[in-house]
Amino acid sequence: MSDTAAPLTQDRQKLEMAALSAPAVFFTVAMIAFPVVYTIWLGFQTFSSTGKQSFAGLANYSKLISDYEFWHGLWITIALFVLSLVLQLVFGVWLALVLFNAKRLPGILRSLFISPFMMPPVVAGMMWLVILDPSLGAANYILQSLGLPPSDWLASPTWVIPTVALIDSWQWTPYVALIVLGGLQSLPPSVYEAAQIDGASPLKTFQRITLPLLLPTIVTAAILRSVDLLRFFDIIYITTQGGPGNASNTLNIYGFRVGFEFFNIGYASALMLTLTAIVFGAVLAFNRLRGAVAW
Amino acid sequence: MNDAANTDRWIRWLNTVQLVLAGMIIMAPTVWMVLSSFKPSFEVTAYPPTLVFSPTLENYAELTRTTPFLSYALNSLIVTVGSTALGLLFGIPAAFAVSWTRITWPAILTLAARMAPGTLFLLPWYVMFRQIGMIGSYTALILSHAVITLPIVIWVLLPSFDAIPRSVFEAAQVDGCSVTRILWRIAMPLVASGIAVSAILAFVFSWNYFLFALVLSNGDTKTLIAAAFNFIGEGSTQWGALMAAATLIALPPLVLAALVQRWLVSGLTLGAVKG
Repeated sequence: MSDTAAPLTQDRQKLEMAALSAPAVFFTVAMIAFPVVYTIWLGFQTFSSTGKQSFAGLANYSKLISDYEFWHGLWITIALFVLSLVLQLVFGVWLALVLFNAKRLPGILRSLFISPFMMPPVVAGMMWLVILDPSLGAANYILQSLGLPPSDWLASPTWVIPTVALIDSWQWTPYVALIVLGGLQSLPPSVYEAAQIDGASPLKTFQRITLPLLLPTIVTAAILRSVDLLRFFDIIYITTQGGPGNASNTLNIYGFRVGFEFFNIGYASALMLTLTAIVFGAVLAFNRLRGAVAW
Repeated sequence: MNDAANTDRWIRWLNTVQLVLAGMIIMAPTVWMVLSSFKPSFEVTAYPPTLVFSPTLENYAELTRTTPFLSYALNSLIVTVGSTALGLLFGIPAAFAVSWTRITWPAILTLAARMAPGTLFLLPWYVMFRQIGMIGSYTALILSHAVITLPIVIWVLLPSFDAIPRSVFEAAQVDGCSVTRILWRIAMPLVASGIAVSAILAFVFSWNYFLFALVLSNGDTKTLIAAAFNFIGEGSTQWGALMAAATLIALPPLVLAALVQRWLVSGLTLGAVKG
């Protein structure tokens, strides 16, 4: 590039680049940024039963603080999040180690392993609804043949959240495992060899060497799962719609129902903005954690 | 010496047992779903459940007879293909520009949209689309699903574009190629496989997406996923037809995912992990 022509081509290039990203930016502003600003505004409105709209100040937010269903939903959201995340990380790391030790993973087997999280969560819900049916389902038959008491699963107010966590973990544990497997494969083999020469037991090697080195990858997997888990919707809505009673009424389910079943758009907006703040707060916190465990 | 070899074999055997166990837990529910879809109606709800039966297609016939399954499937296809095309149309040039200029905020903006709960957008969309009479239109559904596909396309393609050596572009620039021409003639052919992976992932996630169509579709434009309630029915035990519906809905994403399984993880983590 000659010196005299450079400024002109650089300006032109900048303009062309801006033109290339313009459609995506414009689309995102129109479909996301503007609607979110609109939601913030809607959060300050009330809608009467006739659909008339009026300014309500912080009424929706003060209602939120005194709303039992909100706190219940927050509790359910956090319980489901913690339970599912722990299950998926523990079994995901285990499965990753098993896959890693198997050395070779044929394509067909990998296709089978990814099948749970590639199928629609709604289909997973339909499928488990049949398997977990309290009276005719295969799950209770298996429990009973093993001499264990049957469960009401999704129909039980006590067990519905653990059951939903189990279904989601069935779907996403292989995903966590494949991420962790990627982390395992990128670790330098020399550290294991050194540990072996020092005569460290496999358990000690895992605890002292593998796990600390894997932590950044595990936290990455935790971030990716948290985003989905905190806004949990599909499986619950297709199987229980928040029930029995309100036992699986997560914040996202509650917000959706307030908005589209009771048509209280203003209050639903306040609920969803709160949930969004929780999701982004969790991502920021995990990001900090990832910085702390980086090596 | 012999002892060490024995322990080694034992460990490998133990590992294989765990692998088979994990594989069975992962596969069993899906296998059960597919098997149930081929069971005669009196055997689907048999208790104890049966594993041996004479397979039948009656559930699939029942499904197409009692529900507009094919028109739901067509709706799903229109929305999914439309939103995937839109995601590629906007996402490919944007990913190229972000990779070239290293100005990353457009990519991060779309990612933030991927992280927020969908209901956050659905509330204002519902109000706005209702005002302009677009509830139930394919346009509203395609636009909403493009919010899913666009970040997938951008973030799957970014590493592919980043991997092209700069010198390739600089040489083309010296020859007087415009940026658009470089993208179209040089960069896109080089990342063709990345584009294929991003298109398949976008298709799968758009096909699987539940929430938006639940509110933005109507009886004529309902997608398969949003119609799932119709298949479940109120307190009925038409499990055969339900499992036939579930099998058919899951089939397109599973087949497509199998095609790109090797590149799937790095694509799904939006570049956070190199798989």
